[in-house]
Amino acid sequence: MRARDNPFAVQRVHAIRYRLAGVTWEELLERLAALDFRAALVGPHGHGKTTLLEDLGARLAERGFQIRTATLRQGERRLGPVRHAALFGDPGPRDLLLVDGAEQLDPLSWWTLRLRSRAAAGLVVTSHRPGLLPVLHECRTTPELLAEIVAELSGAADGEEIAELFGRHRGDLRLALRELYDARSRGALL
Amino acid sequence: MEWMRIETRDGVNAFLPGETVEGTVGWHFDVPAKSVELRLLWYTEGKGDQDVTVVESVPLPNPGTDEVRPFQIRLPAGPFSFSGRLISLVWALEAVAEPGSRAERLPITVSPTRQEILLSSGVAVAGPG
Repeated sequence: MRARDNPFAVQRVHAIRYRLAGVTWEELLERLAALDFRAALVGPHGHGKTTLLEDLGARLAERGFQIRTATLRQGERRLGPVRHAALFGDPGPRDLLLVDGAEQLDPLSWWTLRLRSRAAAGLVVTSHRPGLLPVLHECRTTPELLAEIVAELSGAADGEEIAELFGRHRGDLRLALRELYDARSRGALL
Repeated sequence: MEWMRIETRDGVNAFLPGETVEGTVGWHFDVPAKSVELRLLWYTEGKGDQDVTVVESVPLPNPGTDEVRPFQIRLPAGPFSFSGRLISLVWALEAVAEPGSRAERLPITVSPTRQEILLSSGVAVAGPG
């Protein structure tokens, strides 16, 4: 199968947006406001934190916030000059800072980020673990969610196989969908 | 209802490297656009992160609400359109209207055979440029 025809190609997967469960967007935004716009999205790898942060940023931008983003990859312990400029350069009163992967920062860098963010309208981070900021939302996945996404991308999903796949990757949907990409590229049905 | 449409001359959508693509961009906007731009770009699709390169941008100034504008864009020498199991490289013409990021994309093929090059495992195909 050609890569561009693969239903699990990254671009198609990225088009799937975060599905809130048990809370509406309005409620989530109200809770964020109640937390003075300083909060964390928490969850393990592949549970949708980054997607939720992107979607949250878009909704906050619609409400007049100036969204500033920074992403920390595995092992990046400091913000560095580029991310620092993206977050704090030419500051404004409606700046809302979104930091993906904040748990990567070393204690001094995290302390600096918190301190500098006081001048901004808010700071929302993603983290694998709670403790950095009050938890706004805990990202969870279920076999049913994976089945829903697989059905949306490929038109069909075998519940039993999806449950096995989900278990094999411990709920990491990114890895599960990558496995499906490989299976499809080899011509396998699932 | 708003729409944008890109059409190539005679509906041809496969070209040789270096060839000139001719066609029209048409649109109807309910909310007038401040700018419309036609872009020639290629992008990758597949397992890894996406690469996107805009090769040329052609501004279509002072857009009205209902228009059809002609265009000509010369294609570069490469890269060629190709597909393997892990990655595809896709050429496209894209019209973008602002504000609102209204967009229309027309995929095209660019290769010496006018057909997408299909890679088999272990075989690498590269074009100039």
